[in-house]
Amino acid sequence: MIWKNEADPLPKGSRGAFALVALCALLATDARGADTGAPVGLNLSAPGVAWAGFVAPRESNYQVARTFNDYSNPSTGIGPVTDDPAHPFVNNEVAREMNIQPTYRVADLTNEAGKNLMPWVQEALKKQNELVLRGRNGESREARCWETGVPAFHLNPGPMHIIQTPKEVVLFLAGRSRHIWLNVPHSRNPKPSWYGESVGHYEGDTLVVDTIGFNDKTFVDSYRTPHTDKLHVVERFRLIDNGNTLEVAFTVDDPGAFYKPWSGTRNRHRVVNPNNRLAESACAEANDDYFNIGLEPVPTTEKPAF
Amino acid sequence: MQRGVFLVGAGCALIVAATMAHSAGAPPDVSGTYWATSYSAKLNLVGGGDPPLNAAGKAAYDKIKARLKDGSLLDKARRVCVPDGVPRVMASPYPFEIFQTPEGQVTMLFEMNHQVRVIVMDRPLPKLEGLITDLRYNGHSVGHFEGDTLVVESIGFNDRTFLDATGLPHGESMSTIERIKRTGNQLEDVITIHDPEFYTRDFQVRFVYQLRIDVRLEDYACNDTHRDLSSVRGVQRR
Repeated sequence: MIWKNEADPLPKGSRGAFALVALCALLATDARGADTGAPVGLNLSAPGVAWAGFVAPRESNYQVARTFNDYSNPSTGIGPVTDDPAHPFVNNEVAREMNIQPTYRVADLTNEAGKNLMPWVQEALKKQNELVLRGRNGESREARCWETGVPAFHLNPGPMHIIQTPKEVVLFLAGRSRHIWLNVPHSRNPKPSWYGESVGHYEGDTLVVDTIGFNDKTFVDSYRTPHTDKLHVVERFRLIDNGNTLEVAFTVDDPGAFYKPWSGTRNRHRVVNPNNRLAESACAEANDDYFNIGLEPVPTTEKPAF
Repeated sequence: MQRGVFLVGAGCALIVAATMAHSAGAPPDVSGTYWATSYSAKLNLVGGGDPPLNAAGKAAYDKIKARLKDGSLLDKARRVCVPDGVPRVMASPYPFEIFQTPEGQVTMLFEMNHQVRVIVMDRPLPKLEGLITDLRYNGHSVGHFEGDTLVVESIGFNDRTFLDATGLPHGESMSTIERIKRTGNQLEDVITIHDPEFYTRDFQVRFVYQLRIDVRLEDYACNDTHRDLSSVRGVQRR
């Protein structure tokens, strides 16, 4: 699926008037500030605004297509697991761009990120690599309707909708949701969960989110790199590129899985369309292993709780 | 030029004043986290009695019940966690949260399978003919306030959901009107169901929830053990 950036709906001549209206709106917002309580340092939520992980370039662009569903490397330090150069990963966008076959992911276990993995993690990825090379289990966890965890939540290329209140920020992406509780400390013993316990605060115009309390059932990336319940992720959300890009820079620490913390970024692009609403998702509908290629089953409840 | 600036200034003052006035009589606050204190697998009609199924509705219900029993039909909302549809989602024994943001939208987020309902405020209800290629589990909803009451109209439902956990059917032409109102720490939702394909008349169901500032929505995955529901009357482990 491709998300095109909608053209700015404002005619050029109306910009001055728009600026004045915006100023008025600002004053008006101030006037009712008592309603909303705490100031919001970073405004990511507005009618019709969503943040797309991928926007198809107008012109053919291999480098842009590469960012379809992957993290970007940090400027310094250890980055995320990447593809084995002997088996280059070709995502659907790159495949379209280059007119070649897409492939499944085979992790590079010999580069810096690969060497940063503890032996049991290396072993798990080795097994997964072997499965993929035999044509089995190539789909990501996410494609099989499982909860993604953090930071893998960010990998879906679709539009992320955000709700902000003085007490919490809720991220909605591809039928999943994550809560970030603002200006509160972590619980003493958070109940282990898929997205952990996220607490956040604004540092100027950056939203800083600290997450612990994960279960150990998710993977940190689409290579199926496992982690333990000691996982600790710090994410910094900020706007760059004149407010048109949401940058999520994150650091992943897990003393039970990685020798050193590693980091990455995932940028999302502002898309504006008044009809662009948060939508329901029914991932497991008609999502069977039709071609019998060893896909992981979708999450299924054998005995519902009620 | 000066006159222009004056006009803009005056206009601006008006907008600010209007917003403050609006703030004084701001839309009623229905936001918050809510949790039902009782659950029923079967729809309880306002005024009692059985759902007024017509002949086609009765045939459909009998067939669904038989197929659920022999396993040829799965209750997908429970088994693989696709959305519940209206009104079943409102009967959930898990908490849900209402946000009155972003502007012009009321957003409902349910703990159960993190389902969402988006209610677009102060817009006309779309015509069913225009939604035929985009029928949804939880339908398409618009809303407005009538005094303290949030009135939500929904249409454009697919027919893959049941009205309740027993398999009560509905057709694609179903529409619903909800009247949602908060009184103190209690929220009620009275839902009128209009579905002439399967029912002889419109009927109503009513759900009541408590405002729970002490409850945070939790993560939900289909195959998991979830929060303790023992405080919710009527939940029987299957």
